[in-house]
Amino acid sequence: MEEAGIPTVVVAVAAFEQPLRKMALARVLLTPFLMGRPVGPVGDGETQNQVLRAALGMLESTQRPTVTVFQQT
Amino acid sequence: MSETNDHPETFESFKNSFFYGSRSDLSFKFLSHLSDDQAADFFQGLAYKLVDAYDDGNAAPIYEHVRQGQILSYAQEARAVYETGPFTPVEKPLSRSRLMLLTSSGHFVQGDDPKPLGIENMTQTQAEQNIMSFIKSPPTLSTIPADTPTDRLEVRHGGYDVRGARKDPNVSFPLQRLRELADEGCFAELSDPAFSFVGACSQTRLKKITGPDWVRRFKEQQVDAALLVPV
Repeated sequence: MEEAGIPTVVVAVAAFEQPLRKMALARVLLTPFLMGRPVGPVGDGETQNQVLRAALGMLESTQRPTVTVFQQT
Repeated sequence: MSETNDHPETFESFKNSFFYGSRSDLSFKFLSHLSDDQAADFFQGLAYKLVDAYDDGNAAPIYEHVRQGQILSYAQEARAVYETGPFTPVEKPLSRSRLMLLTSSGHFVQGDDPKPLGIENMTQTQAEQNIMSFIKSPPTLSTIPADTPTDRLEVRHGGYDVRGARKDPNVSFPLQRLRELADEGCFAELSDPAFSFVGACSQTRLKKITGPDWVRRFKEQQVDAALLVPV
């Protein structure tokens, strides 16, 4: 998608860090949740929105391929 | 396979049974990638933390222990090779951007079942039982209107534990959350439709044929950026 000119940001659980780094993706936000729940825990809309805001923020803030670890506030 | 008199179950077969075996549990399929010693340490640590949680009233260390087990298994599986990849900067502020959502979580709208492998009303159990057929099959993209109510979303995927996604689709298909953020002005517009597919599919076809076709379609929607959620 990046090659086609669509900026992307990936949200994925930190367990996938090594495979994702191998793929050299443009923007990756690694989250501290169990597999299958990358955006956040069940029913925790506040955390899910924090994750999404952090991911979307990477679209504007990054100038090169970047992997960031989500820090919950 | 459980123990029988003639064939006592080994620890190795016990830990492997979580990987699509007799004790299949996709949250713990990672155990098959650990050595016997690592898996034994995992179970010992889990048991210890369980009682600590009982005493302390805090289960968070248990969740973290499971998470570290998942991390260990995948860290051993991949060989990290740092290469450069394509990077497209955004051309406009997010507040003026159209954002699309694409996940590999296997979500679809009620009544629009993609009928994988030609099977109507496939259950999650059937999806797990047919995982080997899934990973040879062509990728199928489900389109999900951006205003789809959360209770009209369904999920089925033989490659990961969908229990969380069934209770709350936002854990892996955050359409409702993105609608909320659009309403707050975080970005201008959610691209319609959103998309999801079952990531357990032919990766060769995805990379060489289907993926490029999908990207052409996404370009036609004139999206400014994309949020991707793999599971």
